[in-house]
Amino acid sequence: MQGTISCTRHYNMIPAAESPRPLPLKTEKTGENVRTLVEENALIVIGRRGCCMCHVVKSLLLGLGVNPAVLEIDDQEKEEEVMSELERIGVEGGRERVKLPAVYIGGRLFGGLDRVMATHISANSSLTSIS
Amino acid sequence: MNSTSTHFVPPRRVNIYEPLHQFGMWGETFKSNIGNGNINTPSHIIIPNNQKLDNNLSEDTSHGTPLIFDQETSTSRHPDKIKRRLAQNREAAKKSRLRKKAYVQQLETSRLKLIQLEQELDRARQQGFYVGNGIDTSTTTSLGFSENMNPGLYQEQGSILDKNQNLNVKIKTGIAAFEMEYGQWIEEQNKQICELRTVLQGHVGDVELRLLVEIAMKHYFDLFRMKSAAAKEDVFFVMSGMWRTSAERFFLWIGGFRPSDLIKVLLPHFDVMTDQQILDVCNLRQSCQQAEDALSQGMEKLQHTLADCVAGGRLGEGNYIPQVNSAMERAEASVSFVNQADHLRHETLQQMDRILTTRQAARGLLALGEYFQRLRALSSSWATRHREPT
Repeated sequence: MQGTISCTRHYNMIPAAESPRPLPLKTEKTGENVRTLVEENALIVIGRRGCCMCHVVKSLLLGLGVNPAVLEIDDQEKEEEVMSELERIGVEGGRERVKLPAVYIGGRLFGGLDRVMATHISANSSLTSIS
Repeated sequence: MNSTSTHFVPPRRVNIYEPLHQFGMWGETFKSNIGNGNINTPSHIIIPNNQKLDNNLSEDTSHGTPLIFDQETSTSRHPDKIKRRLAQNREAAKKSRLRKKAYVQQLETSRLKLIQLEQELDRARQQGFYVGNGIDTSTTTSLGFSENMNPGLYQEQGSILDKNQNLNVKIKTGIAAFEMEYGQWIEEQNKQICELRTVLQGHVGDVELRLLVEIAMKHYFDLFRMKSAAAKEDVFFVMSGMWRTSAERFFLWIGGFRPSDLIKVLLPHFDVMTDQQILDVCNLRQSCQQAEDALSQGMEKLQHTLADCVAGGRLGEGNYIPQVNSAMERAEASVSFVNQADHLRHETLQQMDRILTTRQAARGLLALGEYFQRLRALSSSWATRHREPT
């Protein structure tokens, strides 16, 4: 029998109610702005507005004490522009298919919710060290 | 009416039911003994307590017997008491008869319903439709509306309904395949649990244990793959957990088990763990909890937006959903939730495997498997809990 097990971990808890910093997406020269945003922010989440999976990514990061920058894409055509620009940014080793929601860390594509989840579970909050 | 014979059931209305008929015959015999006012005879007559009879009736019989003996001793002294007791007996017998009648009628109706359902089931199986644990849905459209509803209400949406009729058959065949596959999965699971148990009771090397652990893990991963395919066919079905037993459904979280709960339940059942392992498992549980919370929040948001969509436009004027396609899209978004939840379960299993030694992992998987077996057994017991006769 293990008896009572208590373990404490301290996360820098930011209540989930506090919304992450939204970023404006300017209409002219959208592509350039996206690239700038990705490069300027240590961690940025890009997703469609109202997408529930994007909400999951945000919640998870917030729960970890990470306050991510979030780029929400409003409509279909802007999405296409953004996507083509994102694909040009790429990962180490060439182009990768970008799926939304996408997380960029240090100017590079980190992955989608899959990878965020896997990293969180297996590495136990290596994400907090990023912010 | 001769008061001494009233506690026996006259056979006039009960000739269909054998036991009562027999009893009625005894009643006749008894009547002929007492009917003429000959009270002294019955003291040595044994009234057999027929086991086939409804308990209530035999209770009445036993009430009847002492009465005869009482009559012997106190007839002349307390006629009112006797009359009162007789009246009470009449009442009790009457109530008991009515109860029995109602119960039998209920049984008859249920029997007919059962025959009907079996026939429908056969028909449906032949046509390759799915018939899960839930209600037979062969008369509903894929939107869940019965074909019997007022067609005028949905005329402008008619084309959508028509198109979906054909898809309905295809979807149901896919789901039927999933249910069959799941049945086989359960059988295989039971075999694996048996083997693990046997092997762990004896002496077994780590190499063999490792193999069993890998097989068990892969078995769970297979299930997640099956669920993903089924979710593409019908995500509501997978989410509802109708393909699982009732007790499992009680604990359902996004179409399956909640990883953090399972860790908590199983933790005391592992072999002795090092402090570092305990710490790692605790951390894992906390990470799971966070991931689960994030997913739950996302689901809530999805449900809210879908609800808003369904309630859109004006309610109360008999119109259908104004943006039905957008509602369907949102419903489809649940598919990614099922996938992400299973992904979480997958990752959690793998992380547990990393933290534990092979032997600990084997015991853990055995405990996990047995836990679910017990839940399924509970569901069976639960389903039959009302069957015992009162």
